[in-house]
Amino acid sequence: MLTAIDVRKEFATVVAVDGVSLEANRGEILGLLGPNGAGKTTSIRMILNIIQPDSGKILFDGKPFSEEIRDHLGYLPEERGLYRKNKLLNTILYFASLKGIDTAEGKRRAYKWLERFDLLTAYDRKIEELSKGNQQKVQFITSIIHEPDLVILDEPFSGLDPVNQIILKDIMLEMKHQGKAVIFSTHQMDQAEKLCDKICLINKGKVVLEGALADVKSSYGSNTVRIEFDGDPNILSTHPAFSAVQLYDNYAELVLANSIKPHIVLRDISQLLDIRKFENTEPSLNAIFLKMVGTEKRDGQAKEAR
Amino acid sequence: MKKAFAVAKWEYIEKIKSKSFLISLFLTPLIMVGAGIIPSLMMSRPDTESIVIGIIDESGNYEAPLAKALESRYKLANGQPNYLLRQIPFGYTNDFEEVKQRADKMVIDEMIEGYLILKTNILADSIVDYRSKNAGNIKITSRLERALKDVIMEKKATERGINPSIVKEITATVDLKTIKLTKGGKEEEGGFEKIFMSSYIFMMMMFFLIMTSGQLLVRSMLEEKSNRVVEVLMSSSPANHLMAGKILGLSALGLTQIGFWALIGIIASLKFSVTMIPLAGAALLLVYFILGYIFYAAIFVAAGAPLSTEQEAQQVTGYLVIILIIPIMLTIMIIQNPDSTLSKILSYIPFLTASMMAVRIPIQMPSTLEIISTIILLVISSIVAIWVAGKIFRTTILSYGKRPSIKELWLLVKSK
Repeated sequence: MLTAIDVRKEFATVVAVDGVSLEANRGEILGLLGPNGAGKTTSIRMILNIIQPDSGKILFDGKPFSEEIRDHLGYLPEERGLYRKNKLLNTILYFASLKGIDTAEGKRRAYKWLERFDLLTAYDRKIEELSKGNQQKVQFITSIIHEPDLVILDEPFSGLDPVNQIILKDIMLEMKHQGKAVIFSTHQMDQAEKLCDKICLINKGKVVLEGALADVKSSYGSNTVRIEFDGDPNILSTHPAFSAVQLYDNYAELVLANSIKPHIVLRDISQLLDIRKFENTEPSLNAIFLKMVGTEKRDGQAKEAR
Repeated sequence: MKKAFAVAKWEYIEKIKSKSFLISLFLTPLIMVGAGIIPSLMMSRPDTESIVIGIIDESGNYEAPLAKALESRYKLANGQPNYLLRQIPFGYTNDFEEVKQRADKMVIDEMIEGYLILKTNILADSIVDYRSKNAGNIKITSRLERALKDVIMEKKATERGINPSIVKEITATVDLKTIKLTKGGKEEEGGFEKIFMSSYIFMMMMFFLIMTSGQLLVRSMLEEKSNRVVEVLMSSSPANHLMAGKILGLSALGLTQIGFWALIGIIASLKFSVTMIPLAGAALLLVYFILGYIFYAAIFVAAGAPLSTEQEAQQVTGYLVIILIIPIMLTIMIIQNPDSTLSKILSYIPFLTASMMAVRIPIQMPSTLEIISTIILLVISSIVAIWVAGKIFRTTILSYGKRPSIKELWLLVKSK
């Protein structure tokens, strides 16, 4: 569906995107990952033709951007907001009309979505009267009301309660099964890990890691152990068996130093801590992210990276 | 252009429902009518009761003739004299200050409207004091002045042995009846005030219209920026269509407003039989109005797109108000000399063209050449303004933070 080839964008003082290539296919969810300021939003804006790349190509099914394609793109920006003073249904219909959906069809679809998000009774209320989470649901509806072939969702889960997160996750998977291409931009690695077929990790304007999620993870080997425990976690941070350590209060993700066998480590640390769970596995996406982005330290960073 | 219309429709419908639009829709004509008609109503409203004017007549020679002069000239509807003179006598001491104090008190206590002081040497210096709480009441003072003039003239004439009625005949005042000639040779009676008011009202309406809708536009762009709706808009519609839609919606809004006001105006003119600008002139005014409006709408788009805070918006709209106020300040000068070179030159400044013409057309129709050339100028300026606004809009609508300087904007416009 979407192919970006060697796209570059420079602003007055910084190179925001430096030769990014990525591909989003129908029936796939592509995780667009990266730290703050990595160039994700700029990449997204170029894909949507909001801004023009300085060089590089962005193709849709092999063709360059055209006005027709615009109506088949959907976008949920990271920073949320709608017209506060306007009524819910009118707002949805306006955005639908901008995508070429007439009022009658727009209404039919709007009611369907409002019902799904349990907002049907609020259709005549003003946006500002809704809770933040509900506003976000409305905004999500506006981004997919025209049934886009490519939908770009920037942090769609933030601010939603667990119930609505499940609804949203279901919709994303539905879209995938309907053969839509979904680009899912997020900082939340656990969400990305659960949903994405492919990932594309951007750092400082460059793609630093990409590919099918399973391949990416297995390429990092299976020398990771995750443990749940009771006791003083600081013992782990200085333990010589680990080359990388992420500590939480009673959970840790550890990378084994070369040629250290998991069962030896287990025997060793079970004398120091009260181990409840021990798992030898591939690294989590979170660990990969931290490694690639290079903020990983042996300790202290865990809370920020969660 | 389908998307431009979708944007225009949204802008129009959402703004027409907004409170500030409704307020300006109804309040502006009220203020206009209020400012224009109430003072003249007050001026011409006949008194219903006699007004008592005090008089300190040092020589005692003037009270009776002045009373007669006033009575013969000004009568109430019921035939009673409009002004009654009341002698304020000197006390036993013949002290001038004392009698003045007493008279002042009468004014303060509202026993008399005011009082005149006629000294003995009045024939020599022709100075009469009028003391009143309301010294600015032109109606009373001008009438008193006229009556006094008659009385003094009569006295002077008799002193010199001339028959006062001869003097009166010789010095008869001329009433200048102004008749405005229009192209078709039609005569139209219209005083300065009437012309002034029709030009002035028109320009004020234009001013208010551009201000209110311009501010609405800037505010809504600011909202779209701060809630990031603009990103979704930009991904849904080309920037040019988005801007065109905004200008279109705003223009439709302006036309609605002017249409509504025109309706009020027509009803008012039918009801009170006020002379209005002839229809041909009105149609021409409308052309200028629409063009001027589009021109300013583009300016507001260009000015509003780079802003990201309410404070900046207030600052920038403040500058625009100053530009818009210039023609209003020049009105009186233009009305006096609608065909002067200065008026003509000013008409060729796109910022002022529409309002200048709004003032000039009702007074004296400018030459056809001038009309055509200014319209062409305004069309070109509007196109240029839209083009410039488009460039600024495209690049700055997504930028936040520091407002770009004029120089930066200029570089932006020049860039490809």
